[in-house]
Amino acid sequence: MHRRSIQLTLACLFVAISQISVLAQDFKLWNRTVQVHGFASQGFVYSSGNNWLTMNSTSGSAGFTDFGINMSSPLTDKLRVGAQLYDRNLGQLGQYHPSLDWGGVDYRFKNWLGIRAGKVKTTLGLYNDSQDLDCLHVFALLPQGIYPVDLRDTGIAHTGADLYGNISLGRRFGEISYTAFAGHHSDSIYSGFAYSSSQDGVMFRSIEGPQYGGDLRWNTPVKGLLIGASRMNEKITGKGSFMNPLFVPQPIPYRMSTEAYWRNQFYSQFKWRRLELAAEYRRYFNRFPCLPGSDVSTDARSWYVSGSYRIGKHLSVGSYYSHYTVTEVSGGIAALFIPTQTDTSLPRNHVYDKVVAARVDLNRYLYVKIEGHFMDGYGIGPFPNGFYPQQNPKGFAPNTNALVVKTGFHF
Amino acid sequence: MIAAAVLLTSLNVCGSDIKIIANGSVKMDSISAHELRSVFLLQRRTLTDGSSAVPVLKTSGADHELFLKQYLDRSSDEMRIYYQGLVFTGKGSVPKQFNSDAEVVAYVAKTKGAIGYVSADTPTAGVKILVVAVAGSDSERILITRVEPAYPETLKQRDIGGIVRLRVTISAKGNVERVELLGGNPILAEAAESAVKQWVYASSHSQSVAEVSLRFESHP
Repeated sequence: MHRRSIQLTLACLFVAISQISVLAQDFKLWNRTVQVHGFASQGFVYSSGNNWLTMNSTSGSAGFTDFGINMSSPLTDKLRVGAQLYDRNLGQLGQYHPSLDWGGVDYRFKNWLGIRAGKVKTTLGLYNDSQDLDCLHVFALLPQGIYPVDLRDTGIAHTGADLYGNISLGRRFGEISYTAFAGHHSDSIYSGFAYSSSQDGVMFRSIEGPQYGGDLRWNTPVKGLLIGASRMNEKITGKGSFMNPLFVPQPIPYRMSTEAYWRNQFYSQFKWRRLELAAEYRRYFNRFPCLPGSDVSTDARSWYVSGSYRIGKHLSVGSYYSHYTVTEVSGGIAALFIPTQTDTSLPRNHVYDKVVAARVDLNRYLYVKIEGHFMDGYGIGPFPNGFYPQQNPKGFAPNTNALVVKTGFHF
Repeated sequence: MIAAAVLLTSLNVCGSDIKIIANGSVKMDSISAHELRSVFLLQRRTLTDGSSAVPVLKTSGADHELFLKQYLDRSSDEMRIYYQGLVFTGKGSVPKQFNSDAEVVAYVAKTKGAIGYVSADTPTAGVKILVVAVAGSDSERILITRVEPAYPETLKQRDIGGIVRLRVTISAKGNVERVELLGGNPILAEAAESAVKQWVYASSHSQSVAEVSLRFESHP
């Protein structure tokens, strides 16, 4: 009932926004200009083969909603403050638990040095900090091998500080932009990782730890060409309870902590007139001890190539190919319970996704997207990639085709 | 005799239908296209001369589209999405926008560091005009007619010479529209300016700005 109320409210807002022109987005508060912006999107997913993204998508599902609103104000020509609230529901994930998406202060000392402090969206690759901002992208879903919507909370933001800046290298060599970040991250217990763990009897109360890294991107002298690299190190500690009717009939405290957890990402983007091309490669690795003297290592590698083209003022089309593989190596006694998986040709160890998409901008506030996914594999492992046993109790089909229709508005 | 030493640094200026205006606190008289782009993409908040830089845009119109296309290589929709990307990730705010040239001029006049754009025929009392320079290897304007400056006798007899540096604004047709003294002896400068105003360049698709240096040597 709660979910239906939210969806009905959003539907009414959609209709209202399509009819009116939203002009006033700022107001004065204590003689300061405060800007207000917001966005919302509603999606529908139908799939064949497997249920996807914790939705009963083989029957068609509208459990794909998110929205956010922010306020910000430049206090001086160098100092800005602001915050954004965000909420979402994706199948069994999110469940409309609002959170602070980002919030804090931003002070730009010089063009080459600024600092952001508070809860900050993490700059990693092309789209990590904007992966959940549907209004900014042609695609309804970014390549899931690198920007999994069900695992949005892992690495999207940190509470800490960023140092950032732009350094011009002259007309011949372009410009460098850098970001260095450090802080603490806290993943939602309504995210895909916690949900996936729940099938094994683990109920997390918290999933958090330190996070630090950096991003370096080069706006090359070739007009429209950007090249960059990112690195992030994390330590995750999950606390909660464990219960399994077969082994542990009563809940007992549970704790897990990674020994190593890092991501490397390399990317390139080329924009020329109405054409945009992008390619990224990401590798993430983690190892965590699960039983005394044993551990499990997960090594996930993914890449994609994408292209989009703007046809006229209202229509954009795009396509991408995403390639995701995951291997899992169990050491010690853990191998008895968690078999090593290194054969990436098996459907359980990869997801290859071919996507075609179109976006229609009805006006400057409203848009509609339609997208087709043709997936080979289901990539099930310690970190799921869109496919969950809870929604597929009879096992997984090797291939999944999915239709995603999404509408949204922003102001 | 006057040494025929002319150093020419030519820069192309685009956007003859719009002009870039700035608050009086902005010290520079010209801005590179690259720097202007960085200001409006919110990549910098200060100019190379240390002045604050606060971009001001129009909401729509032919001038708005022309400015975005020429200097930011984006359409208005692409610009809006760019700013929204900064806003929704917490990395920027949307710059102030106005519907009319008059509102832009009024805001720029009263706001420290403000830089905006208006149509070429808009009255701009209270603000300064910034000349936009685009550096490019193919931007040299060819000098067709050159008039040598007359060396003032009084200075020549006293062996007073030197280099006079001028900033020359050249129209699309090739005429010298404006000459601005950048440095040098004032009496020599008067002679140099008088001669340079008679120079004729090859025509081009847009106005240009060039820096010219003339050397006065009593004993070549």
